[in-house]
Order: sequence, then structure tokens, then C-alpha cells
Amino acid sequence: MTWWCSATGEAWTWTWRTYPGVWLLVALLALGYWRLTRRRPAEDRDPGRAWVGWIGVLVIWVMLDWPVGTLGAGYLVSVHAAQFLILAFITPPLLLLGVPAGRWAGLARRLDRGGALPAILKVATHPVVAGVTFNLVVLVTHVPSVVDRLMAQQLGAFAVDFAWILVGILFWWPVVAPVPPRRGGIPGSILYLFLATVIHTALGMWLLLSRYPVYGVYELAPPIEGRSAMADQAMAGGLMELVGGMLIIGAIAVLFFRWAAMEEQRP
Amino acid sequence: MRQRRTEKWIGALALVPALLALGCADRTLSRSGYAGVELDPPAPKPEFVLTDTQGAPFDFRARTAGYVTLLFFGYTHCPDVCPVHMANLGAVLNRLPDEISRQVRVVFVTTDPARDTPERLSTWLAQFDADFIGLTGSPQEVERAQVAAGVAPARPDSTGGADYAVGHAAQVMAYTPDGVGRVVYPSGTRQVDWAHDIPLLARAGGGS
Repeated sequence: MTWWCSATGEAWTWTWRTYPGVWLLVALLALGYWRLTRRRPAEDRDPGRAWVGWIGVLVIWVMLDWPVGTLGAGYLVSVHAAQFLILAFITPPLLLLGVPAGRWAGLARRLDRGGALPAILKVATHPVVAGVTFNLVVLVTHVPSVVDRLMAQQLGAFAVDFAWILVGILFWWPVVAPVPPRRGGIPGSILYLFLATVIHTALGMWLLLSRYPVYGVYELAPPIEGRSAMADQAMAGGLMELVGGMLIIGAIAVLFFRWAAMEEQRP
Repeated sequence: MRQRRTEKWIGALALVPALLALGCADRTLSRSGYAGVELDPPAPKPEFVLTDTQGAPFDFRARTAGYVTLLFFGYTHCPDVCPVHMANLGAVLNRLPDEISRQVRVVFVTTDPARDTPERLSTWLAQFDADFIGLTGSPQEVERAQVAAGVAPARPDSTGGADYAVGHAAQVMAYTPDGVGRVVYPSGTRQVDWAHDIPLLARAGGGS
């Protein structure tokens, strides 16, 4: 039974394929998000904020399901790179921004009370831990032998997709989530984001400069008309470099202007 | 202290390309150092005459003498193995130095002469490399060529209707300039393998 998109070696067609595992994950995510946002007191109702979160859930669904998920898992490394950028750099901040303010306040109170789970959350979302974990997972999930092995199996492809979402949330937590409070403030977040660009920029350069295709799973996939393996890889490298860089620079710019506005308001 | 910490960070960053390179290097080589599967014993270059895409007779053994010859039996409607082999060969030959790629002849024999007209064969091969040689013939001639090359003759899948598939050998046979078949390249051969082996094939058996 096919429950998750993986490389199958079958020729690409535009025939719709079903992936129950993707639907289950998205349904669980939507259920969790609905529970977070339902029955909020009037002062904690912010439809704009809720929409941001729901857009995050929807984008995750689009990225994992047919056709994007299928193409990214077994046909085009450029689509795989786009999936990575969107799952790790765009959807996590959307999900975090969509959480109602009252829920964050509730989480802050739980963290103050102490206990094992709050302690783990505090450690995991510490910028150093989150940044290192994110970059390590990004690096390992781009090593050719790892990609070639994992993407050929449904469980492996699921592990890659899920890991990107999970470490993406971890990575953006110190920047977007208001709890636990951080000492570095906005300048610290800017430095954190800047340092975070190193690995994926290096990966993008490596894809762009490699003389031959680095991932067997995409090089040997049944070809899709008009796209050579090297052109596809160059596109992937370009996406990692340009789009990845632009996303981080965009986030840094937002933080910078917010910081500047706060400084102006200071008496 | 700070300098030592900086050195540690630079050292850690240097691990990135090292780890990626390590992830690429899982290739095993044959006894003679080929990435492909070495034939033991080597096989002689087959003799057959088919028709090229211009409609002229093509004596395979005579016309490829002195070249590294990469022979493949496939068909242009093939959705997977054939276009991948041809695309990978075209890409690698395009990147290898001229003095190496000039010594190579890629010969594609159609196993589906009914649908692969000379025009279609020529257009299809030109998308990979305009110098690739396409050959066709009657079904009996093509079958004899496959037998001569030592591969299992291709068989059309009769259940597919007009859009039928053809079951065919998936390996590329490589003959060195001395006319000896030394290595075969199965489906799944990567560009990096071709880039490694083609210069070796050119040097083997009296090549320059």
C-alpha cells in the first residue's frame, strides 16, 4: 500500500495518486490547530492570526501531497529543494504565528511551574540547541547516500518530510514564539537567523557547483520531458541559494524594522 | 581563547563538504578499476549490418573500429531506462575533454523498428547528443544483432495495445578501441561512473 510519496522508478504521469499517510498527518495537524484556536475568549480572538496558521496547515498539505510531494520524492530535486524551503522556512513561522496570544501566555505559566516537559521544551528551543539541531538535520538530510536510501522508501521519505517540519518549528521558535523569554532580543534573533544561513547556503553552492548529479534517486528517475538531471540540480541549488537566502533576509528585514520602530518609541 | 573558538567553528564548517563528499563516495570498482561490471572473459565486438537514420547501411564492426563503442538496444517510447542511459551519456560526453569524447561512438539500436522510424530515432537521439548513432532494421535483423551482442532479444508486451512497452536488455555494452567488449553498464549507472570509466576505456586496448 502506498501511504507516503517516495521514489518508485515508475514513469511520471499526471494521474492522481492518493497518500493516506499525508492526509492523516495533515488531519492531525489541523485537529491540533483547531483545538488550539477554538473557544478563545473575546480578547484572544484574532481572525487574521488564525488564518495565518490555517494557511500554514494548507501549505504543508500542498507540499506533501500529489503532485508536489510525488515529484519532490522521486522525480525532480528542484521540487525537493522547494519542498525543503517551504516546509522548513515558511510553514513553521506561519504555524507559530497562528497560535493565539492567550495560548502562549498559558504555555508561559506552565513553563514557570516547572516539570520535565517544560524543561525539555526550554532546552530544545534554546537558540543554540535549536540552531545546531536544525542545521545538523538539514545537513544529514542532504547527504547523497542518505537521500538516495531514504527517498526510495515510504518510511524514509516520511522521516525526511516530518524532520524538516519538526526542526523548522524548532528553528523558528526562538525568533517567533514569545516564550520562553530570550535575553538577546531582536538583535539576537537577527544574528541567529544570519548564522542559520550558513549550511543551506553551502548546500546550495555545492549543488550549483557539482560537476555531475549528486543524488542518484533524481538522476536515475524516469525523466520528465525537457528537464535534464543537471539543469534540475542547478535549479535546486539556485532555489537554495536565492530563495532560501531571500527568505532569511526577508525575516531579518522584518525583525530589523520592528526593532527600529521599538527603538524610536523608546523615551 | 577566542581565536581557538573561531578555529573550532571553521573546522566544524569544513566538515560540511567532507560529509557531503563522503556521502557521494559509495562506489565499488572492478578488478581493473572500472565502475561498470567487468566481463570475464572479455567478449568480441559483434558483427552486424543495420540501417542508420539516413537510410544507409551501417556495418557496426567496421564503422566503429578504433573507437570506444557504447552499444545499447532500446526504443524511443521507453519511459525510463533508455532516456536515462542516453541522457547520462550525452551529459558526460559533453563535459569530458574533447580528446576523450572524440574517441567515443554511442550506438543505439532500436528494438521497436515498427514505431521508431529513422526520423523519430534521429530526432529522439539528437536531444541527447547529435553525434549519437541510431540504427534500425527489420525485426529479424535487430534480433540477430542482439544475439550477436550476447543480449537477450527484446520482446514487445502484447497486452499494452498501441502504446505497448518493449522488454529489452537494460545494459550498455562497452567495447574498447581494440574491438573487445570489456565492461557492461547496467541500468542505474550514474554520470559519475561514466565520467570515471570512459577515459579508462579509451586508454584500454591500445587507445591513446
